[in-house]
Amino acid sequence: MTFDLARIMASKRAFRHRLAARPIEEKLALLDELRARAIALRESRSAAESGGLREEPPLYRVQ
Amino acid sequence: VNIKSTIAAINQMQADGVIQRYAIGGAVGATFYLEPVATLDVDVFISFQPDAGSLLVSPQPLFDYLKARGCVMEGEYVVVAGWPVQFLPAANPLVLEALDQAVEKNVAGVPARVFTAEHLAAIALQTGRAKDKARLLQFIEAGTLDTKCFQDIVARHGLAPTWQRFEQQFLGGAA
Repeated sequence: MTFDLARIMASKRAFRHRLAARPIEEKLALLDELRARAIALRESRSAAESGGLREEPPLYRVQ
Repeated sequence: VNIKSTIAAINQMQADGVIQRYAIGGAVGATFYLEPVATLDVDVFISFQPDAGSLLVSPQPLFDYLKARGCVMEGEYVVVAGWPVQFLPAANPLVLEALDQAVEKNVAGVPARVFTAEHLAAIALQTGRAKDKARLLQFIEAGTLDTKCFQDIVARHGLAPTWQRFEQQFLGGAA
């Protein structure tokens, strides 16, 4: 664990290079998973926006 | 839901003569060269053949074929094997060239025609949305581009000024 930004960026870059170098069938399978996750997130967000219980924000009076 | 099945279905469309040539572009195309790029759809570029006796091209036979095989239309997309696919006509010289020079990749026994990395990068430069610029930066950072080939495409399609602006904005003046 480090808070050295340069090392963090280098580590991220190396991770992306490793991902890019994976066989294409693995990368496409990851796309399937990423899409499934994005849809799940989108559905949960729209469910929360449409049907969920919501608290009305208080009307703060500014004088 | 399996993108490999989507590619196999597109190959079948080609084998059945519904489309002539195709090539995968967009985020799925980029994934052949970069780390997986999250996306919700597949961009498939195709060349349309005008109807007999007409100069107009119609995508109707393509949609009829897919509907007959149980595919569902969702707006401008057709859902093929669970993935929304957008069929896009190769409508400008850069995309036509990209379609001509697309390469065949092997996805565990399933062939897939994909734009070259250089054409994907040039199309991203031409399209120019924020996400396209981000993708172009990914290509540059990954070092997957043949620089001369990319520069030639950029020059051939009048994108040199756009590339210069991109370099100044994102690469400190030089790639």
